[in-house]
Amino acid sequence: MAEQSLAGNFHPQDAPGYESILQCMRCGFCLAVCPTYALTNRERSSPRGRAALARAIAEGKLEFTSAVRDEAFFCLDCKACSTACPSGVRVGTIMELCRSQAQVFHPPSLPAGMLRDFILKRMLPSPALLETSLLPVRLYQRLGLQWAIRRLGINRFLPGALAKMEEILPTLTPPLRLEIPELIPALGKKRGRVGFFLGCAMNLVFPEVSRQTARILSQQGFDVVTPREVKCCGAPHLAEGDRATARQLARINIDLFLPLDVDFIVTDCAGCGCALKEYGELLEERYDHERVGRFRAKIRDISEFLAEAGIRTEGLRPVPLSVTYHEPCHLVHGQGLSGPPREVIRSIPGVELREMKESNWCCGMAGSFALKELETSRRILERKLANVRDTGADALVTANPGCHLQLAWGLRELGMKQPVFHIVELLGKALP
Amino acid sequence: MLNKTIIDHLRQKVGAGNVYSEREDLLVYGYDATPEIAGFPDVAVFPENREGLQAALEAARGEGLAVIPRGAATGLSGGSTPCRGGMVLGLTRMNRILEIDEENLTLRAEAGVITVDLFNAAAAKGLFYPPDPGSQNVSTLGGNVAENAGGLRGLKYGVTRNYVMALSGFLYDGAEFHAGNKCVKDVAGYSLRDLLVGSEGTLGIITEVTVRLINPPQDKRTLLAYFRDIRTAGEAVSRIIAARIIPATLEIMDKTTINCVEDYARIGLPREMGALLLIEVDGHPAVVAEEAEGVRKILAEVRADVIRQAANAAEAAQLAAARRTALSAVARVSPTTILEDATVPRSRLAETFAEIERLKEKYKLRVATFGHAGDGNLHPTAVTDERNHEEIARVHAFFSDLYEKVLSLGGTVSGEHGIGIAKKGYLLRQFGEGGIGVMRRIKHAFDPDGRLNPGKIFLDEAVSAGVKMPGGTNG
Repeated sequence: MAEQSLAGNFHPQDAPGYESILQCMRCGFCLAVCPTYALTNRERSSPRGRAALARAIAEGKLEFTSAVRDEAFFCLDCKACSTACPSGVRVGTIMELCRSQAQVFHPPSLPAGMLRDFILKRMLPSPALLETSLLPVRLYQRLGLQWAIRRLGINRFLPGALAKMEEILPTLTPPLRLEIPELIPALGKKRGRVGFFLGCAMNLVFPEVSRQTARILSQQGFDVVTPREVKCCGAPHLAEGDRATARQLARINIDLFLPLDVDFIVTDCAGCGCALKEYGELLEERYDHERVGRFRAKIRDISEFLAEAGIRTEGLRPVPLSVTYHEPCHLVHGQGLSGPPREVIRSIPGVELREMKESNWCCGMAGSFALKELETSRRILERKLANVRDTGADALVTANPGCHLQLAWGLRELGMKQPVFHIVELLGKALP
Repeated sequence: MLNKTIIDHLRQKVGAGNVYSEREDLLVYGYDATPEIAGFPDVAVFPENREGLQAALEAARGEGLAVIPRGAATGLSGGSTPCRGGMVLGLTRMNRILEIDEENLTLRAEAGVITVDLFNAAAAKGLFYPPDPGSQNVSTLGGNVAENAGGLRGLKYGVTRNYVMALSGFLYDGAEFHAGNKCVKDVAGYSLRDLLVGSEGTLGIITEVTVRLINPPQDKRTLLAYFRDIRTAGEAVSRIIAARIIPATLEIMDKTTINCVEDYARIGLPREMGALLLIEVDGHPAVVAEEAEGVRKILAEVRADVIRQAANAAEAAQLAAARRTALSAVARVSPTTILEDATVPRSRLAETFAEIERLKEKYKLRVATFGHAGDGNLHPTAVTDERNHEEIARVHAFFSDLYEKVLSLGGTVSGEHGIGIAKKGYLLRQFGEGGIGVMRRIKHAFDPDGRLNPGKIFLDEAVSAGVKMPGGTNG
């Protein structure tokens, strides 16, 4: 075999790097942590199997077949395999690139493609359009949502997906983006100045959570700057294989935040944080390295930020609750943050943290997976909720909007009483 | 690939979801964890019960197909790769724990149960299953038995063989066998059980295993020592064993490994040190205290450069961190990691390390050595790139020379990985034609047509063209 500099049977644009695939030594340690392998016991639905398929394509031994496309989308991109991998292979990232390849080799049919383009290229990049589109949902929660589903064309999914989509959304309140002051001054002794990256899902679905985030940052002594022109972080685009739009959004966000002169850029969405931290890899040589590096160095998840800065606990009120913590994949595996969220939880007086088994196992939401793979998603969720139940905790805490929706839906379905709180909601309860 | 009639027949007998014949599936049932080795099966079948398994075997016989038993495919000698095509017979869907017998202290399970699940099931009853191969979170009991897997606890507690009490399964011709039982003493006839343990899937298909369980140790102490000269570490190991102290863990890392770990994890390891020893003694608290003190004294006597003893579990975990990280750190250095399995009587460790150093120099290679010093089982690991054919040739020459030395020291070419495809040539060197001839007659008695896992262990059953055999062919 000659030096493999070419992409083999991959399209050269956004092909997985051969080096990154070759790094897999097939030890199989990933098999123990992969939710799709746990369910199927099928090697090709495991990280090791997926890496082997990618390698075969790169070496010209396999075409980019529809089976490969299916595996790329069946992967949850939960990145648990990255944590387990001794040799540093990131199969989730390789599969993201394969999703992009899928658009070349197996383009969606015309209507589906138009819909996909509309959502990814028009709607998600425009906060205003997103907000408008959910307006009817807010006004006529039930009736309006059905309308939205039709308008979004989600009815190409199974009727079950429609039902779940309708059930999973909580009652919406007005988005936060236009309400939140662009500058919230620090309270008490000022410790710094941070930019707040307000994610789309947080803004639309959990505005009250993000309001808490801003309040906490200010109460902890930081000026909070929230630019209204913020764009989607690009995570949905990476997940759906639209890297071009993701790059455009990345450039806009970097250009928006760098001039703000903030010490850090904080987000309360694990998915956004993960995507923002990967802008360097996404943009590669397409953008000024130094600027990307500076931007990247400022990105912090809220609990990472609080743990680093040190939480000012004076004046915190006790919150007498036992809680268990579900680790969002994009926090624990995507950003390697396992300790800081627990540190934040433990810093709240009165809170008892009860660890659940497999706290870092995916909840089955995984972006649109929960709607496309209803049954698989439900089975992954059940495994999670059984572990939640075993703790007997009063409440379930997490740190990502996707997980939040899925877990709350599952708990309601099973008639379990625990409320789901974002970590900042829990901390917010302790704030004076 | 097989014709559709056979596939349909298999689907009907074994279950549609348990038979794979698509190219994408077959491709990923061609490998295990051995670098440079991969095959391509005609079909992969995963029976859920013995009836399904019997039907699969019958179909294979009808087509004259080779059958390659497969657990989790984490092996490091190519034992479960379908190097000549045929039917991959996966056991992972037969994974029930059937019985925990607390009166006889045994556990009976299907072959596909994952090692750590077995361990946990025993632990839930306050019992202990010691074998702990590195891949225990994924490896299967059947695979462990077929390869006679070892692990970190081998020194004190022994390896898989020491825990297998009984086996059941099938020969290629369909005959069912039951070997061994729950009796502590059993000298009835030839010990078929002991023949099957470590047979690498070449004699029979193991479907059910009964293992012995023991009491877990009540207490544990952890010590860590650094040495400027790796020979001093070797001496420390010999002296500890000579003092009749058998630690549960006695692990070693050489300078290259220490530096790989430090490059990767930055946990403040002393880069100038030539070796690290991690020692854990376990058992009754009084004995543990005495043995820990004994080990500490020996380390001081041989003038270890740094000696640390953990005060509590958290500190112990910290001390063990470097060794735990070794494989990850070494594996990240380069695309291809060739993890070998040279094993010597532990009194010859120091010489073996000296030879490794000499050969690294001779062949200009980067080789990190870590492993189970207490039982003389070392893992010299070449970090290389399989695309660099010239360097790979040097790697194979390195291991060929090393095994020559290992054999001259009274060692063995495999402590715990098995022969598979990768080490056939070395096995011949160790046993000669006479020893191999006896093995071949045993193989013939179990599988006269050579259909069960062909191309493994024996050199002249050459594998089909296109499959490379590192170090194995020119031996």
